Amino acid sequence: MRAENYEARNHPPSHEFEINFGPNHPGIEGNYALKVRVHGDQVVAARADGGYLHRGFEKLMEQRLWIQNIALVPRICVPDPAPMEVAYSMAVEQLCGLEVPERAQWLRVLQLELSRLAAHLFTFGGHAATTGMYSPMFWGVADRDLLLDLFEELTGGRVYSIYNIPGGVRRDVPEGFLDRISATLDYLDSRLPDYDNLLFTNRVFVTRAKNTGPITQAQALEWGVTGPNLRATGLAFDVRRDDPYLVYDQLAFDIPTEQAGDAWARTLVRRGELQQSVRILRQVVEKLPTVGGPIRAPIPNPLAWRVPAGETYVRIESSKGELGWYVVSDGGEKPYRVHVRGPSSMHAVQVLEHLVTGARIEDVAQIMFSLDACPPEVDR
Amino acid sequence: MSDAHLPVERLSIILGEVKDVRVSQRGPRRTRLDVAADALPALLELLKGRAGYVHLSAISCVDWPADDQFELVYHLWSYELNALVSVHTRIARDPGVYVSVYDIYHPAGFFERDIHEMYGVFFEGAPDMEKFILTEWDGPPPMRKEFDSEAWVNEHFDWQDYRPDWLLELEAQGGGIVIPPDEQRFSRRGVTESDDES
Repeated sequence: MRAENYEARNHPPSHEFEINFGPNHPGIEGNYALKVRVHGDQVVAARADGGYLHRGFEKLMEQRLWIQNIALVPRICVPDPAPMEVAYSMAVEQLCGLEVPERAQWLRVLQLELSRLAAHLFTFGGHAATTGMYSPMFWGVADRDLLLDLFEELTGGRVYSIYNIPGGVRRDVPEGFLDRISATLDYLDSRLPDYDNLLFTNRVFVTRAKNTGPITQAQALEWGVTGPNLRATGLAFDVRRDDPYLVYDQLAFDIPTEQAGDAWARTLVRRGELQQSVRILRQVVEKLPTVGGPIRAPIPNPLAWRVPAGETYVRIESSKGELGWYVVSDGGEKPYRVHVRGPSSMHAVQVLEHLVTGARIEDVAQIMFSLDACPPEVDR
Repeated sequence: MSDAHLPVERLSIILGEVKDVRVSQRGPRRTRLDVAADALPALLELLKGRAGYVHLSAISCVDWPADDQFELVYHLWSYELNALVSVHTRIARDPGVYVSVYDIYHPAGFFERDIHEMYGVFFEGAPDMEKFILTEWDGPPPMRKEFDSEAWVNEHFDWQDYRPDWLLELEAQGGGIVIPPDEQRFSRRGVTESDDES
């Protein structure tokens, strides 16, 4: 913000104060801000203030070749980048009518679920830290690092893998990689009781999280809440099952739900998803050696690739919720229009403003983390 | 599975009540509807109330300067039918005013605000048309096709000088950052000065 736009305001005599919560604040996720009006320690009004992470991705994508955008898209959501690559690649494939080889689809599921695990571990840590507990954060980040090691081995990149291209994936799994995934999954399974002890049955955490930021199912549907936040209100909906893409229809997994709709329920849903992702990954590890064939379909010269004119809307279940990509081509070498609907564009703006209003100031950070809001996805 | 047929049946019942809707089935779970701008709110209301499309997934705006139009696309999802309907409509680029559907779908509040600041389309009746991302932007709406971001940068910002005079002077005296030949990056190794000159 420019200095000249700061005004020293003379507030009328009042018990209410306006506080800037962010953009640099340990209790806020990423560079994001909330302007909250407090009466005592109760929030009476809140207004989300975004834009600190705006990099103009949608405009940039219109100025780059279809293939160049692959390096750009994972940066739209830092903690969970894989769904962005996959969704963009799927959109281009749908526009071109490209068939993705089966092995590539399994490899994409592998990448997506590893990314989901990493994102959830990160979120648990952040959520715990907002209640004053820092050990789960260290644990979560340390265990996430094991998944990043796997990403590094598979793709060369720890966070932004840039593993997908339209038509398939870039590399096949290295030798012995599946064994190392299994070992990591075994380790994560063995860690879950420790996490339960430290976090999920911790009385401090449970007391703080219960009844914090509750959403009813009717409200969730009205506000466009998706993903784990919607499932925490009792609606068993998951894009992976109900609008299947890739090979999710061949995989067995449950959809964890909770009824309460508060921060505690949202955490439990994510804990359940952690187990389900491990379950899916074990099936992928078992299945992958039996699926042969190429890992990508042949594509035209990527530097002179004209994608047929058309439009498509691709939906994917990311760790935050429903991720939508609307891609329009006019038959040119570059996308004509790309619109990214990040799940957090609902959770971090309207929903957050509603939930924070009436809450207490010490719960504001917790509500934001329990919604798993991802500001770069809002700002794009 | 009956899922694939149900959406079409339910849709055809309500589509009879709105004039001039063009329907194209794009896949078992994807339907595209094209409708005139003045009929769109009524259609959305029917889709939500009678066909179960309760979730507004997104509103996308596409700029078509050749036709002098904006295309607005409303992506609706039904949790009962597990099907997506994309409702397309076109509005005039000038003056670029349309009605808000916030009363029907609350998520529209965010998307309309976003389209307003990125494309300059004003939505009448929207609860909040204030800037969100481009808070201090006073240029034209940047997502419009005629906005050239590179030209804007050249016009409004100075390129940084990475070889200022003082550094050149320093280097001429043997100072600054000088990397000995054996520590240079591999691409420079083996390149002698005579190679450089030739």
